[in-house]
Amino acid sequence: MKPHQTRFEDLTGEEQGWIESYVNGTLSEPDFETMENRVASDPAFRAVFRRYLAMDSHLLANPESGGIEHSGTGAWLEEERPVSASSPTSLLKPLAVAAALAFFSGLAFMYWLVPGEPAITGEEKGASAEGFAVIGNLSTPVWKEGTSPRRAGDTLSNESFQLASGTAEIQFFSGATMIVAGPAEISLTSAWEATCLEGRVRMRVPPAARGFKLHAPSTEIVDLGTEFGLEVNGDEAHVEVFEGEIEFQHRDGEKRLVESGSAWKLPLGESESPLQTGQADIPNTSDFESEASRLNRDDFERWARHRDRLRRDPRLIAYYTFDQKGGLVPDLTTGSTENHDGAIVLAEPVDGRWPGLKSALEFRRPGARVRVNIPGEFEAFTFSAWVRIDSLDRQYSGLFLGDGYETGEPHWQINDEGQMMLSVMVDDSRPNPRAKNGRGFHRVYFSPPMWDRSMSGQWIHLASIFDPANARVSHFVNGEKIHSQTIEKEYLIKQLRIGNGEVGNWGLPFSEDPTWAIRNLNGRIDEFAIFQQALSETEIAELFENSRVGR
Amino acid sequence: MAHSTEDDSHYELFVRRFTHHEPDLRRFLRSMLPTHTDTDEVLQQTAIVIWKKFDQYDPDTQFMKWACVIARFEALAYRRKMARDRHVFREDILSLIADESLEEIDQQNLEEEALEHCLSQLPEGQRKLVELAYTPGIKVKDLAAEAGSSPEAFYMRLNRIRRNLMKCIEAKTVQLSAEGGPA
Repeated sequence: MKPHQTRFEDLTGEEQGWIESYVNGTLSEPDFETMENRVASDPAFRAVFRRYLAMDSHLLANPESGGIEHSGTGAWLEEERPVSASSPTSLLKPLAVAAALAFFSGLAFMYWLVPGEPAITGEEKGASAEGFAVIGNLSTPVWKEGTSPRRAGDTLSNESFQLASGTAEIQFFSGATMIVAGPAEISLTSAWEATCLEGRVRMRVPPAARGFKLHAPSTEIVDLGTEFGLEVNGDEAHVEVFEGEIEFQHRDGEKRLVESGSAWKLPLGESESPLQTGQADIPNTSDFESEASRLNRDDFERWARHRDRLRRDPRLIAYYTFDQKGGLVPDLTTGSTENHDGAIVLAEPVDGRWPGLKSALEFRRPGARVRVNIPGEFEAFTFSAWVRIDSLDRQYSGLFLGDGYETGEPHWQINDEGQMMLSVMVDDSRPNPRAKNGRGFHRVYFSPPMWDRSMSGQWIHLASIFDPANARVSHFVNGEKIHSQTIEKEYLIKQLRIGNGEVGNWGLPFSEDPTWAIRNLNGRIDEFAIFQQALSETEIAELFENSRVGR
Repeated sequence: MAHSTEDDSHYELFVRRFTHHEPDLRRFLRSMLPTHTDTDEVLQQTAIVIWKKFDQYDPDTQFMKWACVIARFEALAYRRKMARDRHVFREDILSLIADESLEEIDQQNLEEEALEHCLSQLPEGQRKLVELAYTPGIKVKDLAAEAGSSPEAFYMRLNRIRRNLMKCIEAKTVQLSAEGGPA
């Protein structure tokens, strides 16, 4: 693929969905026709389509599939060939299918049935609920070529963790913590086991994680509740115990119990020998923490500069960064003549994205909200927010909702399946065609699920666009478009309003049922902006890039 | 068995060429046909026709191009036989895809190499799931039922893994072609 060619991820969510459903055999007839026209008319789409189908074909033919012979290969040649010399091709084993199922069912179903089905988002978003470790902290990380960049909070599973330079803290679910300094290659096996193939590592193993095993290329180290360092560099390794004790076995030698204040040299091809302590440069938590706090400050300041630029953007309707002043969150936009300051009701001040430097509001209590009044008429909406969701235990968790949900007013929220929802009331005097008792004529535009419990406590950037001029609604997570959908003619509305509205909750629910009525967001918001135009995809990506935590 | 040595070597040449190019032919057909079953069927038919016409094949020319002409013809013939409600592309689109696929053979081989790499990078659980879903003869519907889950959930999971794979393939191919290309 040439660099400028369209990638699968560049397609809209809808287009990706067509190809996936086509391959799965679940595409509807109308969607097939739409896709067929796109295949005919759009060479870029066609190229991605062929690439996806090529992958699909190769996955089936992939000989690595657990050593099970592929049924297609040459099987029919036997019947057709005119003479009966033995064929060099592999033949179908009649029992292959049954064997495959038996072989895999144990293994694969185990993974398949992992509790907490992972969300349908990319790896990069760290959305998977699989895994046995998490990246706690990162300091100036540079990733080895060919590996995808990771962020603090990402879940790690059975994989190779490769750092070209910088420092990372890996927290295993067993309770053990590993601080790794690059260049390093760590192979993660389980919450209780890892291998250091290269790099400098400090392990902290609390009593609960006693027995954690760390392998060096020719040594196995069992941690007996302690803090120790390991350096692996080419043919040689060093281990040094700082506190407590460890047991190690080098090559086929005897097991050795090593107490704090001693160090051993572990050459690849020779026996171990005692060593003076302090020889290896083992990464230290305190260095790491001071480095982290410096980065934290740099990061915050970068964001503050972005904020000062953004507040002058003439397209802004309102912009809140949740620095409270006397029960109010000031609207930071510079151009507005009206006062759009928000009033805090029950929402509690807490740490924001940069603890100690930036505050946020928490909407944990059912009555919590920030009330705003924004008069005027607008031609589009772009909503952008930094949100830390703790859980989605309400049927709907409010991000921003117009009070009365009257004609032209928006509702931006997340449902309990982690889907983003954006809707605008099209006509509150017409009945809802989908639900008899539903409120007014409108349509809700859903994103695919973008959140699950493994993302609890992570700051994420959410943005949604309602763009009548182009008849399109789009949803974005961390700068990436995850869904886009056409607004059908019937549901098109061009005069948009807000009036009274709320951040983080909804004050005037129509339903008496409390599961519907309570819409407070169980989490925090520390930045929120509304624009009166549709921002471009690039602009959304920039909003995210300029205000994200860590790089 | 009464057959000549010439027959044997002729047949062996056919088998060698065909098995060598079978994955490429399958890929070629897969881009034109809605399911793996359709692909298998047309691939079988193509193999038969190739064997029948093999004495017309000039061993000095590219087998793949010659075989693709036959495969393409068979795919179009298959299309005409198929029920209208099936999701098969119009004839003009099939031709378009076939032409472009042929031009892309080198590129697609590179992507295949990238896929091998990407599969090896996949967490074990995800790799097992893909292997399972792509084991010939296994139906996702049955898998899901056995796992006590809905096919939709299974497909969603598979889609997500394939998205990751595509992302990886597309990035890796750029890298591979940069390595293999002129400095």
